[in-house]
Amino acid sequence: MLWLQLTLTGLQTGALYALTAVGFSLIFGATRVFHFAHGAAFVLAAYVFYWVDTAGLGMIPGIVLAALAAMAFGVAMDRLVYAPIQRHEGSFFTVFVASFGVGIAVQNIVGMVFGRGFVTMNSTLSRSREIVDGVYVAPLAWIAIACAAVFFALLQFFLRRTHTGMALRALADSPELIRVYGLDPRRLSSYAFALGSVLVVPGAVITALGSGLNPALGHHVMLISLAATIVGGIGSIGGALVAGFVLGLAENLALIFFQSQWTEAVTFAILFLVILLRPSGLFGRAAAH
Amino acid sequence: MEAYLLNLGVLVSIYAILAVTLNFIMGYAGIFSLAHAVFFGVGAYVGAQVGMHFSASLIVTIPAAMAVSAVLSLMLALPALRVRGEYFVAASLGLQMLAVTVFSEWKGMTGGIGGLIGIPAVRMFGEDIYRPAAFFPLAAGAAILVLIVTRLLVRSSLGRSLTAIRDSESAAESFGKNVALIKTISVVVSAALAAVAGVLYANYLSFINVESFTLDTSVLVMAMVIIGGTGTALGPIVGAALLLLLPGMLSYLWFLPQTQIGAIQQIIYGLGMAVLMIFRPGGLVGRSGARRRTRKAGGGK
Repeated sequence: MLWLQLTLTGLQTGALYALTAVGFSLIFGATRVFHFAHGAAFVLAAYVFYWVDTAGLGMIPGIVLAALAAMAFGVAMDRLVYAPIQRHEGSFFTVFVASFGVGIAVQNIVGMVFGRGFVTMNSTLSRSREIVDGVYVAPLAWIAIACAAVFFALLQFFLRRTHTGMALRALADSPELIRVYGLDPRRLSSYAFALGSVLVVPGAVITALGSGLNPALGHHVMLISLAATIVGGIGSIGGALVAGFVLGLAENLALIFFQSQWTEAVTFAILFLVILLRPSGLFGRAAAH
Repeated sequence: MEAYLLNLGVLVSIYAILAVTLNFIMGYAGIFSLAHAVFFGVGAYVGAQVGMHFSASLIVTIPAAMAVSAVLSLMLALPALRVRGEYFVAASLGLQMLAVTVFSEWKGMTGGIGGLIGIPAVRMFGEDIYRPAAFFPLAAGAAILVLIVTRLLVRSSLGRSLTAIRDSESAAESFGKNVALIKTISVVVSAALAAVAGVLYANYLSFINVESFTLDTSVLVMAMVIIGGTGTALGPIVGAALLLLLPGMLSYLWFLPQTQIGAIQQIIYGLGMAVLMIFRPGGLVGRSGARRRTRKAGGGK
């Protein structure tokens, strides 16, 4: 039953990766900004949730404040960092470095405030129950998978059925036409950042309740969702979702064959091979060149 | 105090080699690698193993380390030929993460997480060179040599072809340049020279482990290049000196809590990178002309 156990754990991990990657992919798809500090939004949201909840204010206010913090961070990055760089025609390179720098700073600020060690939260949701002989699943796993499904469905509905959603998809294709049409690309860009950043919240909250937090987590989450975005195909949010699950499953199923130290290597070997063999990703439209 | 400064001088020299060699591919070829610490590590491990089992002479260790690093760098050259921009950054990141796992798990070669201890000191003129006072001239000499070699390469026809490829790959190709070959050579040269830093590092400390060759090191070296000035001759050296002096300077600020120095240092260089990209993407040494060139460097697809 080992494989069933690992598949279920893999789906839980995959759900977290998938939503974070979808957020990153949404931002990149709409604005072409390589938002490496997306992982910092994850850490901020997770620690805000932890802080509010341990202060005794309860989980719901924690989630709301975490969502606000993530959104505020995303929009602030867009307005204060990316917009000025793009004003002087910033390249991918310039944007990436600035984003990376902010990511490092946030990780260390969080480390100074909350300590660099692991913090964990007590929650009955993370207590595993035996569902079949020898297979243990925590309620949190079902919540994670359900969250991924619900939030992705909501996002798809938003992008396909609402005016703003369609404008966001159009922004990816042509900012000029958006302007001609009378919409403000800058404002739409902020929407993309707000929306993409909010998508880290389910993952952040579930990680806080489940395996616990440390400030370096943002880095890890970012690397994984970057891998998922590229494996899925840049600009394809459906691809990012699937790739997130694939990487989560691969990381856990690899335990059947390798020792646990090698699981991260499996993720990055997949990333490396996909870039070499199929740079446009599994579901990508445009080629990398 | 003198020993402290000399020790710092040795480290600045070693990191300057890394920054100069990374700048060679970043600034002139537009190959934005997050895997430079891999070749630093390969150089250190190979240098240490050869030094411990065959000969501690630099005439043996350095060529061995450079050769192994050059061969392994083909792993980085491969994606560099296929993809650019964010895709290449991701590929190099993948390579860096894989290498860290190998460094910490291949116990026979790298000693695992515990690392390698008892690496013999360099022997020159019949004496062991390990004191900072003796090692500093050696390290600084190596750094200057590496700088001269990369300068000569940048000014050669290879360097001009590199900048041409960086600015427009298709234009360079249409002028009959063998883009694949030129890119591969530049990656191999950069990795081989970075291995020199690794050998010196292993000999100097006589102890190495995976901690020195992680993504953090790659990012630190990248920050040195960027803060100093990408695509400039002296920028990487200025960047290396500045970032290595920072912890020392911060420890003089009595009002900062000493336990947080590491974090404060990281915050400063993180925010420094961001602010610099907003106001002066060419780096501290970069002129306005250099700035325009750098910006083009990463933008092309």
